Parts: sequence; C-alpha cells; structure tokens
Amino acid sequence: MPALKVYAWFLLKRLGLTVLTLWGLATLVFLMIKLMPGDEAQMAAGADASAAQVEAMRIRLGLDAPLVAQYLRFLLRVAQGDFGTSIVTLQPVMSDLGKVLPSTLELVVVAMLINLSVAIPAGIVAAYRQGGAFDSLCRAAAVTLGGMPAFWLALVLQFLLGRVWRVVPISGQVSFGMGSPVVTGAPSLDALLAFNGAGFLNALWHLALPAAVLAALFSTQVFRTLRASLLGVLRSDFVMAVRAKGASARRMLTDHALPNSLNPVLTLAGTQAGAMIGSAVLVETVFARKGIGAYMFNAVAQKDTFAVLGSVMFIGTVVCLVNLAVDVMQLVLDPRIRSAQFGSQH
Amino acid sequence: MSAPAVSVRAPRAGLGLSAFEASVIGLVVLLLAVAVVGPLVAPESVYRSDIANALLPPGAGHWFGTDDQGRDVFWRLVVGARTTLLSAFLVVTLYSLIGVAVATIGAAGPRWLDETLMRITDIGLALPGMVVALGFAAAMGPSLRSAIIAMAITGWPITARLLRGIMRQTMEAPFVAGARALGVSRWRLMTCHVLPNSLDVLIVKWAGDVGTTVLVLASLSFIGVGAQPPSAEWGATIAGARGYVSTAWWTVVMPGAAVAITSIAFGLLGEIIQVRRDPSLRGN
Repeated sequence: MPALKVYAWFLLKRLGLTVLTLWGLATLVFLMIKLMPGDEAQMAAGADASAAQVEAMRIRLGLDAPLVAQYLRFLLRVAQGDFGTSIVTLQPVMSDLGKVLPSTLELVVVAMLINLSVAIPAGIVAAYRQGGAFDSLCRAAAVTLGGMPAFWLALVLQFLLGRVWRVVPISGQVSFGMGSPVVTGAPSLDALLAFNGAGFLNALWHLALPAAVLAALFSTQVFRTLRASLLGVLRSDFVMAVRAKGASARRMLTDHALPNSLNPVLTLAGTQAGAMIGSAVLVETVFARKGIGAYMFNAVAQKDTFAVLGSVMFIGTVVCLVNLAVDVMQLVLDPRIRSAQFGSQH
Repeated sequence: MSAPAVSVRAPRAGLGLSAFEASVIGLVVLLLAVAVVGPLVAPESVYRSDIANALLPPGAGHWFGTDDQGRDVFWRLVVGARTTLLSAFLVVTLYSLIGVAVATIGAAGPRWLDETLMRITDIGLALPGMVVALGFAAAMGPSLRSAIIAMAITGWPITARLLRGIMRQTMEAPFVAGARALGVSRWRLMTCHVLPNSLDVLIVKWAGDVGTTVLVLASLSFIGVGAQPPSAEWGATIAGARGYVSTAWWTVVMPGAAVAITSIAFGLLGEIIQVRRDPSLRGN
C-alpha cells in the first residue's frame, strides 16, 4: 500500500475516534445539565426573572420539547460551537474562553518544556546508574512530588519564593507598565509581537513558578516511564553487542539506548499535554493568572453552573484536539508507529 | 525426575518485611487508626470557634497552632482524617464495582455489547477525568456527596479496561476449557470462574488508587465542588485557610502535608504489594 494511502487511512480512523469522543463528551455534559437541581429555565433566565421571562426562556431553550428532541437540539448547538451562556458575563462561554485560552496554552507550553527538560536528563542518569545515590534521590523526589496536591505546592512555593525570598513575582502575568498591546492574549507572545524584549522576559519571569508547579505534577510520571523503559533497553542484547564492539558508554546511550527508549515517553507527553490543560484549574487562580482554569474556578465560586459545564465541554474538546494533533505528529515522526498500525504492509 | 539443582534462598522469618516496607505499612495502619478513633477522642472545641485564640502559632498548647476561627489545627486534621479516608475508600470501591460490572458484562455478553462497552471505556479514558468529575459535582450542587458520586462515575474506565484484559488472559487457562467442557453457561463461567480468578489485579491496584483519589478529592474540594466549609475534610480546610498563608502558614501547610503524607503512604503501599506479587519488578 502506498504511504499516502496508509496515512489517509490512519487519519480517518483517528478522526473517527475523535468525533466519537466528542459525542460522548457532549452526551455527558447534557447529562450534567439534566442532573442540575431546580428549574433549568429559571436558572438560565436568572433568579430575579419574571414568570413570563422564565417561560420565554423555556421556549427559547426548547425545554418544552421531549427529552430526545432536547438532546438532539443540544448536540446540534454544541456542533455549531454554542457551549451555553454565562449568567454572570452574559456572554457565550465559547467567546469568554476563546479570549483566555492563549494564556493557558502559554502556561502549558512552558510547563511542558520544564517537565521534559528536567525529567528526561534525570531519568537517563538514574537508569544508567541504577541503584546509585542519584537514582535513589530522584526516586524519592518522584514519590514525594507525586503525592503532593498541586494547588498546595503552588500556595506554599508562592509564599516561600514570592513573599519570603522574593525571587519570583507573587502573582499576575506581567508587571504593571510592562505589558504589550493584547494581540493573542498570551502575554509572552504579545511582547514578542511588539518587539518588547523586556516585556517578554518579564512575562517569562511571571510564568516560571506557575509553570514549574504544573510541571512538577507531571514530571514524576515522565521520569518513571523513561527510567523503566531505559532500564529495559539497557538490559537487552543489542546494547551488550554495542558495548562489545567498543562503543563508549556515552555513545551507547545517546545513539543506541536512548532513541529506543524514548517512545513511551513521547506517548506519555502527548497525553500529558491534554491533561495539563485540565490541571491549569488548580494553578491559575493561585497565581491570579488568566486562563480557562481560572475562568472555570471563578464560575464555580459564582455558582454560574452553565459556565462551568460550558468550560467542561470546551476543555474536553481542546484536550481531544490536542491528543489528535499529538497522535498525528507521532505518526509523522516515528516510523515504528506506522508499522505497528499497519504491520503487514512493511 | 530429579529435583533441579538450584539453591533456593531460605524465606526470611515472619512476613519477611524490610524496614522500609514495615514503616510504610505502619504509617498506613496509623492513618487508618486515626481515621477510626480520631473523631471519638477529639476535644469538643474543634467544632466551635474561639476567636480570642485565632491564628495562634504552633506551640505546647496547640501543636499545629490554631486556624482563623481559633480551632486547633491538629485536632481538625485528626477529625478530618475520617472524612477524607472514608470518602476515598468509598470512591475507589464504587468505581471498582462499576468497572467490574462493565468488564464482566462485556466478557459474558454478545460480541457487539463487548465492543460497545469497550468503545465507551475508550471515550472515558480519552476525556480529562478530573474536569468531567468537576462538571458532574458542580451540576449536582457542590458537596462532598456530589464529589464522591462524580469521581465514582468518572473513575471506572481504567479498572474496566484493565480487568477486561486480564479476564481475556484468564480465559486461556486450562480450567476454563474444563469448565466449558462440563457445559457451564457463559454467564456462570464469567462470574463464577473467570472473574474470581482475575480480581487479583484490583487487589494490587486499590492502595495506589486510594492514594491518587485522596489527591483528586482534595483538589475538587479546593476548587469548591467538594466538601464545603466548615467541613474538616483536608482539601476544604486548605481552601478555607488559603488567605492566611502569609500570616499563618501552619493553617495551610499542615493540612496539605496531611494530604501528601496520606497519598504517598498509600501509593508506596500499592508499590509494595505490586512488587511482592511480582518480584521481577523489584528495583524498577
């Protein structure tokens, strides 16, 4: 089978799974709406709406129709990108979230960079010197970090590093007067677009601690996965053959063992990218950052349930799309996935 | 046939626990004991506010200091241990039951049902669990009960997927072929023979699951869709004390440390059980 056809078939299958997942997500959110106690029309119209207004809302939302019709109508609305309306901002949830999404993505990208650049070297050294002092230290750190609540770590580090030792800003996205005109909504990117070097560094400085906390939450998994995978590869026969042929330890690691053990890490990092977007809800408010997590957090506090459920729909959708993008990227990057998918054709 | 000439190391005395394993198990037992006994021995004052003694630093009178209401932080944690651990056990039990049901029905039912259930499981695995749980809890009205139900309905896919895989392996065992030859019905085969011989995997998994559940539960409470103040649940306690981190660090640090220690203890217990069951994992 020609390669192009192979790609197309994979893409089609993967897209099908994404559509199925989004449908499942929408069904869950519909269920959530139906689980809400009280009158849906009353809630959508607001607590102090008149009886006539509530009735008008009931008809507008189609709540007088049978449940199946309501469900189909809901799916249609979601497919058109209508994720409901916030009763606080009175704006569609989609447009509210679209504005703050770049800020969350900025946080997630920096967190992912920190995550991989700490966990991968640590995993390599720990596996190479298995049982050594560094290995034991890293494993103890991984267990400890993995058990800490992220929001608590954020609060404590914010207090220590921001208030006591004053090495990072306590909160916010950019210092007063250092901001650039908003183009994308991600302060670091906006600074770059305005050729504002100082503003860019300032935005990164504000990002450092929130991103590090988010990274800490995920780096323990990367460390463990890489360590276990590399240990497996280091025990395999071909590594012994490489060493027997006289390759240095460094060359054996970088040219032979590592490329063969990174695959599970890439798969994990892909799923983590999506999960990080969801975990932003634990970090963003602590540091008073804008973002979809902070939006959802505030919606919970203001009892704006429609905005919460719209956010669930939105975050779920973004996670699905990120996972899709990661899978496609892996297909392009790693020939072994191609052959695993279409084993007989190679 | 003569016995193979392999020297077998004599088993260590007793359970053969290393010092590390013994201390982890000791810690877990201590946490469970606190959860059981704690609320019975705690002084009545943990439920009352005493503004005159608010935000006292840790000292002889109050080991972990007092919170903004003048309540003793240590005793609040002791009381909250029951809420926190009981909720986590409940969540893990509930979603394990759902997972077992899904896997068994899939294994025993017709092919199309199995396929459908596994596709639904896939969808569940592809979605961000905590965010969906947050949505369910917010929709049902924020409370500890809502959070527990929400986590139960979002937590089962991993169990279902894992168990379904193990059941497929168990199906290969000779005794299954034997039962089949005796004319045992498919449903009976699955529930009475294959399932009991596959449940091992859940026993290994539960301790680690409790560890992560404690974390997620605390997170949901922090976000505001779980336990509500004045509940002594640890996540809600941190949320309530959030504003005092710079003036009275102990009100935030102590409950967070309690969450971390509990989560780490159960996580390590899970690993110990896993290694004991499959010693080839040792060192990994």
